[in-house]
Amino acid sequence: MSRTRKVDAYSLTNVIVTPVDAAQAPLLARPHYRAQGTGPIVTSLAHVPEALEVTMPFIATVLGPSAIAARTKELVILRTSARLQCTYCVQTHSAVALDSNLSIAEVLALRGQASWQEAFAAEDERALLGWVDAVAGSVGAVPAVASAELREHFSEPEVVELTLLCAATVMLNRYCTALELPASAATLQRLASEGLR
Amino acid sequence: MSAVAEAIAEGRVGGRLWLYSNYHCNLRCTYCLTESAPGVARRALDPGKSLELAREARELGFTGVGITGGEPFLLDWMPELLAELAEILPVIVLSNATLFTGRRLAALEPLAALPIHIQISLDSAEPQANDEMRGPENFAKVVAAIPELVRLGIGVRIATTLEDPASHDPSELDRLCQLHRSLGVSDDDHVVRPIVRRGRAATSGLGVPAGFDELEPELTITADGAFGSPFGPTVRAGALDTDLLVTRTTSPLAVPAGALVRVAGGRDAGHDARLGIR
Repeated sequence: MSRTRKVDAYSLTNVIVTPVDAAQAPLLARPHYRAQGTGPIVTSLAHVPEALEVTMPFIATVLGPSAIAARTKELVILRTSARLQCTYCVQTHSAVALDSNLSIAEVLALRGQASWQEAFAAEDERALLGWVDAVAGSVGAVPAVASAELREHFSEPEVVELTLLCAATVMLNRYCTALELPASAATLQRLASEGLR
Repeated sequence: MSAVAEAIAEGRVGGRLWLYSNYHCNLRCTYCLTESAPGVARRALDPGKSLELAREARELGFTGVGITGGEPFLLDWMPELLAELAEILPVIVLSNATLFTGRRLAALEPLAALPIHIQISLDSAEPQANDEMRGPENFAKVVAAIPELVRLGIGVRIATTLEDPASHDPSELDRLCQLHRSLGVSDDDHVVRPIVRRGRAATSGLGVPAGFDELEPELTITADGAFGSPFGPTVRAGALDTDLLVTRTTSPLAVPAGALVRVAGGRDAGHDARLGIR
């Protein structure tokens, strides 16, 4: 059975999966709904509340604040999303990247609209982006040189966290792309105002 | 003792596991929670799965099984399933009792003396008032079936669903009690509860609004997943309500049972008693 419901500020035309609105939020999903609007990852996962219950804390742990700087994490998330061509994640994390002290030129480079080799000068960030391209931009083994250059700049715990971050972003990229999740109107307006849409 | 068994023992979660055997029905009641009617999709629970769930329920600490629908006795295998379930846990099955004639009545004979009760809906002592809610000739069929079940030795309960029990005409309710006594059903086996404003009742503007806080937490398994109350898997305008959905996973039963304890286990026993919806 299906029913089309309109949710918050998100555009919901032609969705693959009908978002679960707040009034229909299952018991386990309710804590993840926000009065000011709930994103489509939550409103889609709410169809399977036991999956939502573990996925959202996982996402928050891996993508949220941690021992690694937010700017560094956004390099991984946005570059990975660009390589996977996830429209939702690229749009959403372009805005997050701006809030994490990345410049518009850097965001454009991460999105593949300019050369990141020219936009980023710091050795650790260049090593990280080369590694992300190797991990998210191809299949099979990651070239040893990419991993070695990453290790020159990051500790073992950091490498593990960055690897998990990249892998989780790939998962989210495919989830959001397959379900054609829409970015919020607010995000699209923000990007338009920054000339990034 | 497991967290589930502890919650049941302390009354924070109901001890009865409810199974929605099916959604189709030979009636189309005005207040039906599930918009059940002839021709709606069956969405039946496989009997083998029902037995497996009952066994898991017993292991987890549940104390009984309830079967509801739809009309469970539209399923030919229901009497046999009930007998097998009763070997695992005591059973109550909700029915409109309009099918208990001929071969269907005879099929119930093996259930006599088993820990099984059939709970039958009867809303008024007046045929016209009852049938306005439940359909033509419902009253006559029910009052004919109940003595037959009693004669077979099958436990019978009567459930009366009213728009507002508190303001209902007491003399009318008295007449109904006289009627069920005359049919062989004691006062202890008669329950009166309000219409819950969900499903078709919500569409019709009937009954009392009831959310999770007003309902006893009772794990309820359907073909669509596990819910926190038998009043949960309601259907409105053809769409399943998910506001009382617990998990899509129904087996192993420990998954939804554990989730229900997490969302309801912190409430005091009797938290839901305000509206008396049981």
